[in-house]
Amino acid sequence: MRWIKEFSFLFLLLFCSSGSWAQCCTSGNPFISDAEQPALQSKILTASLAYRYSHSGVYFSEDGHFNELPFQEVAYSNYAELQLGYGVTNWLTVLSELGYFFNKTFETPGIDSYKGYGLGDAALYLKFNAYTNSRLRLSISPTIGMKFPVGVFDQEVDNVQLPISVQPSSGGYKYMANVFVSKGFGKIALAGFASYEYSQLIQSENFYYKYGDQWIGAIYFNYHIWKGLSLDLQFRNEYRAKSTRENNEIVEASGYDVVFLTPQLTYGFKHNWYLSAYTDIPLYKYYTGVQMSFGYAVSARLTKKIDFLALKARNQAKKINNKTM
Amino acid sequence: MRRIFIVLSIVAFGLWACSKKNDATPSDSIKILSLTSSANPVMAYDTSVITVEAMGANLQYGWVANHGRIKGSGKSVKYSACISCMGLNTITCKVFNDTGEVSDTIMIRVTPWHTKK
Repeated sequence: MRWIKEFSFLFLLLFCSSGSWAQCCTSGNPFISDAEQPALQSKILTASLAYRYSHSGVYFSEDGHFNELPFQEVAYSNYAELQLGYGVTNWLTVLSELGYFFNKTFETPGIDSYKGYGLGDAALYLKFNAYTNSRLRLSISPTIGMKFPVGVFDQEVDNVQLPISVQPSSGGYKYMANVFVSKGFGKIALAGFASYEYSQLIQSENFYYKYGDQWIGAIYFNYHIWKGLSLDLQFRNEYRAKSTRENNEIVEASGYDVVFLTPQLTYGFKHNWYLSAYTDIPLYKYYTGVQMSFGYAVSARLTKKIDFLALKARNQAKKINNKTM
Repeated sequence: MRRIFIVLSIVAFGLWACSKKNDATPSDSIKILSLTSSANPVMAYDTSVITVEAMGANLQYGWVANHGRIKGSGKSVKYSACISCMGLNTITCKVFNDTGEVSDTIMIRVTPWHTKK
């Protein structure tokens, strides 16, 4: 029973957002790729802060390196994300997130770099506990959500508009639906995650652009190594359809299909604090046209979990003890 | 009560997200004389120099490309675009001072990249 609890805690501390970063240079929040979680139980709050460094520098055409360009460019970003989740009832969890870019930089040697920074997108998700069976160790949690382009867009430096690829916010709304299924088998737990994201047209003062639909499928293997230490191995496929621009013109060099391996270590400390570290390693990349491809990303997340029902029970017990003394 | 809280949260987010405006005022004391490019069409990853000539006092210059990148600042900048920005792109030049702002656009076609021989 305790093992089941620990396993569920592992997932509880891992939120998932929906975004796009496999196409290395897109506006808005990147995909925070740690393992997805089932819905929270009633009156449980989780708050987490994630940090992510991402680096890209290799151009791809289809599934191979494209080395014919007479220069080398790199793109990198330092990003933080605050996430809050609350179990409103046993069947409904409300999740929110807010992203911030310390920098989102695009560099070409010998030329001043482009650097965007500031608030990214906010998001609100409703996650449902559709089915839970503790005997079978099976849970199914569908989610719907929306991203809001609350942050910096149309950012300028010296009165010159930064390219869309380094704008911190998406510039348009995004709608997302996903489903998460987890099942325990002996000492190992398996989980699956499928997500769809629709990006609305970016129609700002200066940009007219629509990112293609995004599909993500992931499989997780979880293993409890020792005491509070857990290992997750995630295989994830991110597919994005081609973008469109003015007059519904399709942007040929914009779609991609990337398979990632994301190993993740998580440690649970006292008082419901959790720390996890993980990295995104692309195993296979396919890009239409010629595009700068995803390189790698390293991330860390610190999470605090508060169980208000347990707190209340503890306080009541203290009061009773005080009275009896 | 909980449902109301959720709906209100969504509405609040939506309202917050919908606050974009352009408060530039047009000026009669600024006149753009010309807006020219050194190359048009331009191959992906190549550069075209775009220059604006304008009349007015204490002028400042702003640049926007709907696709592609602008390097530099002032009355002359460099425009380049990657392969994903191929097509007919619009570069907007805004000339402004204390009296207000005027703007003009130039269309530049970005063509497919190929190796130069």
